[in-house]
Amino acid sequence: MKVEKRLSGSGAKMRGPAPAPGRTSAIKNMFHKDGTWAFLLLLPNIIGFLAFTLIPVIASFFLSFTSWDMLSPMKWVGLSNYVELLNDETFIKVFWNTIYFAGISVPAGIVVSLFLAVALDQNIRFKKFYRAAYFLPVVSSMVAVAVVWQFIYNPEYGLLNYFLSFIGITGPNWLTSTVWAMPAVILTTIWKNLGFNMLIFLAGLQGISDSYYEAADIDGARWHHKFLLITVPLLSPTTFFVTVMSFIGSFQVFDTVFLMTQGGPARSTSVIVHYLYENAFKYFNMGYASAMAYILFFMVFVITLIQFWRQKKWGVN
Amino acid sequence: MKKFRMLFIVLLCLLVTAACSSGGTNGNTANSGNNSGNASGDVVTLKFMGWEASPLETEAVKKGLEKFMQQNPDIKVDYQPVPGAQYAQKLLTMLAGNAAPDVFFLGATEYRSFQNRGVLLDLTTMFESQMSLDEFIPSSAQIMEINGKIYGVSSCTVSPVLYYNKDVFDKANIPYPPSDPANAWTWDEFREAAKQLTVTEGDKIAQYGAFGFENFYMTTAEIFSNGGQLFNEDGTQMKINSPQAQEVLQSILDLRVVDGTSPTAKTLESIGMRANQMLQTGKVAMVVDGSWALQELATMGFPVGVAALPKFEDAKTHGQAHVHSASANTKHPEEAWKLLQFLSSEEYQIGLISEGLWMPNRKSLYTEEGIQKWYNESVHPEGFRELVSFFENAEPYPFTLITQNKVNDIITEETDKLWYSGQSVADTLANIESRSNVELAK
Amino acid sequence: MNKQTALKLTAHFILLSGAITMILPFLWTVSTSLKQLSEVFIFPPTLFGEEIRWDNYLRISDRFPFETYFLNSLKITVVVVIAQLITSSMAGFVFARLRFRYREVLFGLYLATMMVPAQVTMIPNFIIMRNYNLIDTHWSLILPALVSAFGTFLLRQFFLTIPASLEDAAKIDGCTPFGVYWRVFVPLSKPAMATLGVFVFMGTWNDFLAPLVYINTQAKMTLPLGLASMQGMYSTDWPVLMAGTVISIIPLIAIFLLAQDFFIKGVTLSGLKGE
Repeated sequence: MKVEKRLSGSGAKMRGPAPAPGRTSAIKNMFHKDGTWAFLLLLPNIIGFLAFTLIPVIASFFLSFTSWDMLSPMKWVGLSNYVELLNDETFIKVFWNTIYFAGISVPAGIVVSLFLAVALDQNIRFKKFYRAAYFLPVVSSMVAVAVVWQFIYNPEYGLLNYFLSFIGITGPNWLTSTVWAMPAVILTTIWKNLGFNMLIFLAGLQGISDSYYEAADIDGARWHHKFLLITVPLLSPTTFFVTVMSFIGSFQVFDTVFLMTQGGPARSTSVIVHYLYENAFKYFNMGYASAMAYILFFMVFVITLIQFWRQKKWGVN
Repeated sequence: MKKFRMLFIVLLCLLVTAACSSGGTNGNTANSGNNSGNASGDVVTLKFMGWEASPLETEAVKKGLEKFMQQNPDIKVDYQPVPGAQYAQKLLTMLAGNAAPDVFFLGATEYRSFQNRGVLLDLTTMFESQMSLDEFIPSSAQIMEINGKIYGVSSCTVSPVLYYNKDVFDKANIPYPPSDPANAWTWDEFREAAKQLTVTEGDKIAQYGAFGFENFYMTTAEIFSNGGQLFNEDGTQMKINSPQAQEVLQSILDLRVVDGTSPTAKTLESIGMRANQMLQTGKVAMVVDGSWALQELATMGFPVGVAALPKFEDAKTHGQAHVHSASANTKHPEEAWKLLQFLSSEEYQIGLISEGLWMPNRKSLYTEEGIQKWYNESVHPEGFRELVSFFENAEPYPFTLITQNKVNDIITEETDKLWYSGQSVADTLANIESRSNVELAK
Repeated sequence: MNKQTALKLTAHFILLSGAITMILPFLWTVSTSLKQLSEVFIFPPTLFGEEIRWDNYLRISDRFPFETYFLNSLKITVVVVIAQLITSSMAGFVFARLRFRYREVLFGLYLATMMVPAQVTMIPNFIIMRNYNLIDTHWSLILPALVSAFGTFLLRQFFLTIPASLEDAAKIDGCTPFGVYWRVFVPLSKPAMATLGVFVFMGTWNDFLAPLVYINTQAKMTLPLGLASMQGMYSTDWPVLMAGTVISIIPLIAIFLLAQDFFIKGVTLSGLKGE
């Protein structure tokens, strides 16, 4: 910010050579003004933003008060979509499934990735190899991941139950069990996102000055003391950021569920976005689906507000 | 120099918008290209949409279309295959937009809900001038006719049947299940055979007796066999909660839970081991599957048998198959009808029937003489002739007679609970009935 | 010293077992793609079949129009990456360096759009595409992806770090603001652009929801959608499907290994948002 202010001040002073009189110079002049260029350079973004974000956000709000199947005329139904949602057993179920999914996958994912990041931060050899290995699932498409994991979860020929059998456990029918399907989906999700969170933590860890640890060493602190008393507190802005982003991401989970279980069995893995997709593009209840989208929006909004609030607090400290 | 650069950036900025508009025009030129073709009267282009189900079907469609275009040089058919499970949704979106195909495959279970939305061309006059519902077997005729009108022409018929691996039966020294519906196994006979055909090796089951009834498509046939029903006469109410249906669901569940003769539902399927692979590998002795599976089974190099489904009261199955329909907004209804007519012709159907993928939907192909036209010894196993009446007299598949596709999802959800998480049969049927009736009332 | 070694060994042990968990599924994909179908259904699972069946890779295109999917994905991804680099760098420059009224408000508003879940705009966008006849065209995938709030933010953050003296020098030479952007900022921001580029590439190449919603016919499908739809076919030929999967992730793994540092920088930068 500081840089900018000084710069724009100096920019005003140096408007190039004295303008020559006449029409051409007026145009020339115009093209030396920040405002003109700001407008020109922002134009594509403004158009894109209006066409594919702002207008749709408003339209979707409007749609959530209608009943419409894209073929018959649109009907204004007031709040009844929202009322129906609150009484829709399936929606309530997918809402809690979403909370279940987020509630397990986010904390578990964070703990594991933090752990790995700390291990990787030990000035260790083969760092690049490890980093690459953990990032492999992040760059792979969910479709590819789902194909492989469906196979891994197969009760008869899958790798997971094969490994479990070594320790004497007969694994369940992961994806066809109403109890185990969601944990299976969660496990795959954690596996896929681990590398991403780990890298953010790693960046955060590298921001912690060595002097803290050196001071602790002098005091004779044990490893876990250093971890709990230095690493965890100093890393908390990063942790908080990762938590918020992971929550927002997991509220919007769709690909994993759609590709691995289609929301089944018995809707035990169906989440908000999956039900939204079905309503919009299978049953063509555009209004109902829009109302769901707004509930999702609200959930994300609340989480984001918390993030802003904490950020401010840290900024003040 | 500077000006030149300015110009360049303005152009750059416009790139995005330019990209937009050229996108629009691209789409339009493609369309107007077609339209101008029609206007000048030489060649009409029909957009034809179908799904990619089996390679053979796709092959047959392509060959058939070539033949059609040779016979009708003034019509060009542009075939657009849509793969995947989302076919009906995709089709409806296209019909709702302006990019609708002129002619398309339509699943029989979607037929009435599409008609309800007014997107199908009324074919009644054209149909009646050249065909009659009496030519069709009862299930096909009943599916096609909506309040005295025709909006789609049935392609063929398919029904659930019982497949078995003859080698496995021979080894166990058990007689084959009968093909003739009149002598069909009773459920108890079937259950007994399944027990004998289940082989244990150590603590693992190496060979299961039977598989497939937990798929509701198959379950439905057994409910009919026991005299139960799914819906009331006009398809406005769910009537599944009956002692007959209870008995059927319980019996199916018992195969796996009590007898241990059936693998956990869908486990094999979930990794893509389909009925045919289960039979081929000897993993399962008997499999219930759609009659279409015969096409692939016949090429897999093991002795496959086909039989009537086991019966509770009467030996029964149900029949349905996709219809060929045209868009209500097509600009070329006459040409569309020509294509529909071709797709319904013997010439087009017989190839697919003799490969084992389809069964005929015309009564004329069920007579001694008619059967000669398609019966293929290298595909249709011994005894298949006795089985044909099973298809001819099939009940219409009940989901083709309703307009609410959400009912299907409710059934999947509730039966999932029954098969996988221990919900009782009574609760399952009660839930299906009450939840479906809420949807059907909408 | 001894304690240090013990600590490092523990770290290695943890990291290595984690890394194996990460890599094993990929190895299994490759090994399955080289088996015969019947060898897939064997218990206990084997790493390799009796013989290595390279021909599964040749059979991919018999089973489904793989080249079409691949080229579609490539075309869409390249267009989107280039477009986003242009639009995001322009907007990022404006927000970082140009002075005009309401700049902060506009930037704040633009940032706020990052918080809008894609599902909120999905339905109206679908209706827009339908009305303009763009359903089942690649435009429906490209148009909404031409601009990006995230990209703008990322490049703005980078532009803020470029010293003002360079800009001043250019202005003394008589450069317009665009000249400053084009001659000073763009050349200096190659690493940041590369970072954004690989990120956008990954996101676009792997996108599933948008193609699922907008694309209908086989000829228009992208690789992930095509692969997913192949699974629903009558009988899945697993080795061939796995071969297709392997080929579909190779471009990304190649890009990742080549541009690993850019990826890591991108993650780190996006992490900075929180601080």
